[in-house]
Amino acid sequence: MIEIKDLHKSYKMGSNSLHVLKGINFKVEDGELVAIMGSSGSGKSTLLNILGMLDGADSGEYTLDGVPIKNLSETKAAQYRNKFLGFIFQSFNLINYKSALENVALPLYYQKVPRKERQEKAMQYLEKVGLKPWAHHLPSELSGGQKQRVAIARAMAAEPKVLLADEPTGALDSKTSYEVMDLIQQINDEGNTILVVTHEEDIAHMCKRIVHLKDGVIVEDKKIEQVRAGQYV
Amino acid sequence: MFDRDVWQEIFNTIKTNKLRTFLTGFSVGWAIFILVMLLASVNGMQNGFLGQFNDDATNTIFIRPGTTSKAYGGFEAGRRIQLKNEDLEYVKKSFADDIEYLSSRYYANVTARYKSETGSYNVQATHPDHQAIEKTLIMSGRYFNEADLINKAKVVVIGRKVAEDLFKKEDPLGKFVELNNLSFRVIGVFTDDGDDNAERGIYAPVTTYQRIYGNTNNINVIALTYNPTYDLAKALEFSGKLEDVMKRRHKIDPEDQAGLYVWNYAEAFDDISSFTAVLRGIGIGVGFLILVAGIVGIGNIMVFTIKERTKEIGVRKALGARPRQIINLVLLESIFITALSGFIGLLFAWMILAAVGPMFQTPAFSNPSVNASTVITATIILIVAGVLAGLIPAMKAANVKPIVALSDK
Ligand SMILES: Nc1ncnc2c1ncn2[C@@H]1O[C@H](COP(=O)(O)OP(=O)(O)OP(=O)(O)O)[C@@H](O)[C@H]1O
Ligand SMILES: [Mg+2]
Repeated sequence: MIEIKDLHKSYKMGSNSLHVLKGINFKVEDGELVAIMGSSGSGKSTLLNILGMLDGADSGEYTLDGVPIKNLSETKAAQYRNKFLGFIFQSFNLINYKSALENVALPLYYQKVPRKERQEKAMQYLEKVGLKPWAHHLPSELSGGQKQRVAIARAMAAEPKVLLADEPTGALDSKTSYEVMDLIQQINDEGNTILVVTHEEDIAHMCKRIVHLKDGVIVEDKKIEQVRAGQYV
Repeated sequence: MFDRDVWQEIFNTIKTNKLRTFLTGFSVGWAIFILVMLLASVNGMQNGFLGQFNDDATNTIFIRPGTTSKAYGGFEAGRRIQLKNEDLEYVKKSFADDIEYLSSRYYANVTARYKSETGSYNVQATHPDHQAIEKTLIMSGRYFNEADLINKAKVVVIGRKVAEDLFKKEDPLGKFVELNNLSFRVIGVFTDDGDDNAERGIYAPVTTYQRIYGNTNNINVIALTYNPTYDLAKALEFSGKLEDVMKRRHKIDPEDQAGLYVWNYAEAFDDISSFTAVLRGIGIGVGFLILVAGIVGIGNIMVFTIKERTKEIGVRKALGARPRQIINLVLLESIFITALSGFIGLLFAWMILAAVGPMFQTPAFSNPSVNASTVITATIILIVAGVLAGLIPAMKAANVKPIVALSDK
């Protein structure tokens, strides 16, 4: 599903530049649930942004579902993001003047799905994350966990090939974190490929594979026995 | 582009920035208000001018001789041109189908006396047709006719003021007045709407005066009206032909503007149209300049809201919004705010004009009003203004990098 080879990325900071990713090689198969760990500043978010086509790499190869990702125009990148990728952010990033339902329907709008169909589909995904009764509430009327579940429903609505989550539980307490991970595990069980950036060991162990980043290189990459989050909920 | 979601977005940004939207919208509305008032005033002026013209026959042409300024046909420059009776006959024959009324004018200054009263007046010696050309209104008695002309009768039609000055309370009809010591019978008294000066004139048959002045056949002016069914283009074509023919007859260079004047009311009409067109242009220009303040205001506000919405735009892009879609959204929002405020200004101007417009009925200014072309002009200006105001904010929005949505925690 994802294949990157010798990926480099550095940020220019005035006269000197900061080399963040120093040759990343890694492969993700269909249906994997991968945790990316590492200390703060190790380049986890940078890697995820490049995988999400929100940022470009300096050198190296990136192939997503067999499509080489290179020198994309803004419009093309927008199309690929819409078709291939779903994002889940630490700070949820819901649009505050749109109801839960409208937030979930937004990626479908950019796919030019007709309005009625869009609403139905969005409602299905809200039901899936257990928030159907909250469909017409604004984000400000929802708890943190509920917000993140709306965000997950939104990421799922466009039926992307890969879900990218940057510290999806970073802003949540442990109980709500487990609820969110339970949901992510269920989505993964249905065969979706998911990458989760996290600081927390227990969250990482709810994935199926852990990749450790340190000083811009992968220092450890291991398959693990998955801990089911459902038992804590 | 015009689906429900786009409108929802627009209403939401307006709702969340009510006061700011109102304040900038106000400046645009105000600008359009002023623009419409200016255009309506121009309309009022035009109405006033045209109203004045309707007093006289508007299909009048005057032919006046001058002094040549160019050498032509063997003659040197500086030759004085003199019109004669033969010229009148020639015009009559050459343009029988184009002409409605035709008259010559022969001017004379006279000292008039009745009993002990005297005064100095201008006599215009004319043909009977002149009454129709000048729309002379007879108060009492009659205008002179063909018979008077043929008989070279010593009759006059005097203005109301002349009658008052010389005859005081007496009825002048049938009385004899002395003009330069020659006795004339008064057969009519005329008035002229609102023009006291014209009422200080005297009309007499042209033949009579030509005989008095040594049996001359000179005339000063040829006055005529053309077929009233002619439109502006046809009228101008006719007066052009008339000028060519008369210049050829008197051997005047066709390019010589000083040798002969053919003065056409239609041309003056044309001049007024172009004059008011210029005024209208100035009105639009001034309105647009005021509008610039509104445009800058709206552009400013929108740059501000875009900055506030940077994260939202980033999220949208991460979800697959194309740059074009973001630009369209911002432009449409800008056009909507501008157009809405503008039309409110237009509505106010229209209501005020509808209420007070009919009260203005002076010669120079009458019934200022909003017409369809004003509304169309305002609409086009508003849409252009909306696009201009939204241009910079839209560019800013399109340039937002989606990465900000992720990195900003
Ligand atoms: N846009 C940027 N410009 C300059 N430097 C940047 C930029 N984004 C990230 N960096 C730097 O690159 C390094 C890696 O950042 P990154 O956000 O990938 O770290 P991270 O592993 O996600 O850290 P955290 O766990 O704190 O989120 C950091 O030192 C950061 O300061
Ligand atoms: Mg990070």
